Amino acid sequence: MSFAWPAGGPKALWNAAVGTGFSSLAIADGRVFTMGNEGDRDFVRCLDANTGKLIWKQGYDCPLDPNLFEGGPTSTPTVAGDRVYTISRLGQVHCLGAADGEILWSRDLAAGDELSSPGWGYAGSPVIHGKLVLLNVGESGMALDKATGETVWQSEPEEAGYSSPVVFQHAGRDLGVFSSGKYFSAVDLASGERVWSHRWLTRYGMNACDPLIDGDLIFITSGYGKGCALVKHAAEEPEELWKGKALRSQLTVPVKLGGFVYGIDGDENAREPSLKCVSFATGEEQWAEAGVGFGSLIAAGDKLIVLSAKGELITGQATAQGWKELGRAEVLKGKCWTPPALAEGRLYCRNAFGDVVCLDLRSPRS
Amino acid sequence: MKKHTRRSFIKTASAASLAFGATPLLAAKTDRKYRTALIGSGWWGMNILREALAAGRSTAVALADPSSDALEISAEEITDLSGDKPRTYQDYREMFAREKIDIAIVATPDHWHALTTIAALDAGAHVFVEKPTGHTVKESRAMVNAARRNGKVVQVGLHRRIGPHHVSGMEFLRSGKVGDIGMVRCFVNYGGGVEKPTPNSRIPKGMDWELYCGPSALRPFNRRIHPGGWRNFMDYGNGTIGDWGVHWLDQVLWWSEEKHPKRVFSTGGRPVRGEAVNDGQAQTSDAPDSQAATFEFEDFTCTWENRRFGGHNSEKHNVGCYFYGSNGTFHMGWRDGWTFYPNKRGAKEVHADPQFDNVKDGHNMTPLWADFISAIESGKDPVCEIEASHRSSVLPMLANLSLKIGRSVEWDGEKELIRHDPEANKLLRRQYRGSWEYPEA
Repeated sequence: MSFAWPAGGPKALWNAAVGTGFSSLAIADGRVFTMGNEGDRDFVRCLDANTGKLIWKQGYDCPLDPNLFEGGPTSTPTVAGDRVYTISRLGQVHCLGAADGEILWSRDLAAGDELSSPGWGYAGSPVIHGKLVLLNVGESGMALDKATGETVWQSEPEEAGYSSPVVFQHAGRDLGVFSSGKYFSAVDLASGERVWSHRWLTRYGMNACDPLIDGDLIFITSGYGKGCALVKHAAEEPEELWKGKALRSQLTVPVKLGGFVYGIDGDENAREPSLKCVSFATGEEQWAEAGVGFGSLIAAGDKLIVLSAKGELITGQATAQGWKELGRAEVLKGKCWTPPALAEGRLYCRNAFGDVVCLDLRSPRS
Repeated sequence: MKKHTRRSFIKTASAASLAFGATPLLAAKTDRKYRTALIGSGWWGMNILREALAAGRSTAVALADPSSDALEISAEEITDLSGDKPRTYQDYREMFAREKIDIAIVATPDHWHALTTIAALDAGAHVFVEKPTGHTVKESRAMVNAARRNGKVVQVGLHRRIGPHHVSGMEFLRSGKVGDIGMVRCFVNYGGGVEKPTPNSRIPKGMDWELYCGPSALRPFNRRIHPGGWRNFMDYGNGTIGDWGVHWLDQVLWWSEEKHPKRVFSTGGRPVRGEAVNDGQAQTSDAPDSQAATFEFEDFTCTWENRRFGGHNSEKHNVGCYFYGSNGTFHMGWRDGWTFYPNKRGAKEVHADPQFDNVKDGHNMTPLWADFISAIESGKDPVCEIEASHRSSVLPMLANLSLKIGRSVEWDGEKELIRHDPEANKLLRRQYRGSWEYPEA
């Protein structure tokens, strides 16, 4: 792949319109899956990865619900085998056939009014683990049977956080980390039993960044000035190894490369959000790059690909020593809070309006 | 943990001091730290408290907020920032009963400004209160009276009186270069469309919603109200004219040195956002999506206009004041600084860029806070002292009153009464809920 490009930026292979929202793009078997809202209906769309042409779309009633942001779905479809799993901000869960979008089962988790949905609705994407669909719903998650949608286990109806479940193994157990508005919890995935909860209170209940897990070490971060911490998993009470302010990530899931975490420090409307490098083991800030402001990022090998909130694509080499920018180009107009997706040398980006662009990052020679 | 130094605020404080004759902070006799409390520990209140801590003259001793989550988060942030360990209270009355407080920062929604400010003053504290002063006219006057009888300093958050480009812009206006100014148009315009109702939801754990609503109506909990949306609910705020308009109308009173309008008329509604909803299941905001107001002064006409639709692509500026004079038009803006557009053929525009302590926030809280401390220590009036700020706050209140009653009002500013209209006069105050008592002037 090539991370630098001539003026005008990387080549755009195709564009598509998918409706308002913040859903990222899942790519599988030559197809792209995403969500967006049009006319108070969520649509799950399947596009051809090569051409961007619509293969199918499936919709259901769901209000756009703009509330200090544009509204629309905030989670991403999950593809497993021949099925696609989605959750709306209201808690409507769907299992669709990947081939044609047929609804195989659906659950309306909000019906019955038991659940206390978080202020901006559910944002955690579904995670498939064995026979389970894991969802960040309730105080410490929920699991549905992926074949039928029936509830296998659930947690107290407190406000969930906005991150996606993250699975890890320890001492032969499969565990998942779920955020609520006030805690990060580890749950035994076989039983649904909560193993521990670590208090992490963030303004507005905005625990929105998926934790980064390495072995039994769990890196958490949140914004509104809160900060970051490294928590060591244990059978009962986790140990907080360190807590600091070097990375205060509001919406952006950071990435770990080697022993270092790279993320966006500072809220979207803060003084100077910047790309930062922080030691995973100690929380010490290594450097901050103000030239890369608020946005989302993914890692590609040892490079970082950042999509700025203004639609600028910025690539660079990031190490503990510093940041070396490789390429920069405007690829989308409008607000971009959704992380891009990279598959087979193609980068898929979307903005809040639902404009999607597929960029060719493959090197000319390949 | 960061150690806070006085950094650049000293420069701006000195600049402001030279402009207004207040004693420069550098000449302060002591290094005394003021026991500082914050009432309303949310986003904006914490911004002000952080400024106070950064200025180095405050110890954060207490926080008050109806939400125990907000208290916990804010207290932790303060401790991480400064080492202070503020005590937390859901009820500000308990706070004043237990704590000795030198400075209270009031950053609650508007409907709480009067009672908390008066309680703070009666408890012996100086007060920094956000704009507008109160929610209705008479309670705002009661705040002024409480400040006078207690002999305490009140600074109101109308920071555009100290912002550097506002100061230089005002000099330009007064220089005569704009000519004779006969009309001022103030405005803020946004894009937007229909507002769909948001379903009511469960009161978040730890939120004392009864206390949040306090002296105002107890609406079902709705996330459109909290966090962040109360300004557009007339029970708790005063709409865009109260939130934004007060800043720009204050600029007009500052420039003209007028105290009172003679007559006020306002009209508006929700033709685009749709009828307000509060039906027990769901709510929309109920502030107008468009409002126009006219304020008659002796020698000029002042208008206010705001829209939450239509945007401003057809105009250069989306917010501020246009002063129309015999030599041309002067625009006082926010992030666009100020600009003079001369009539004279071939004459060049004159422009000053905005200057902020930090570009992102676009505010002038640092010099405003420094001026507050300076006023406390020197005995001179702060730049946004309560009487003048009350008179500026009265403008949006009268506009909303005229809108509500459907006719213009003749204002007797000295008596603070509406002439020939007893029905209108009733709206200068309002009924507080339950056992809360409306503060009489």
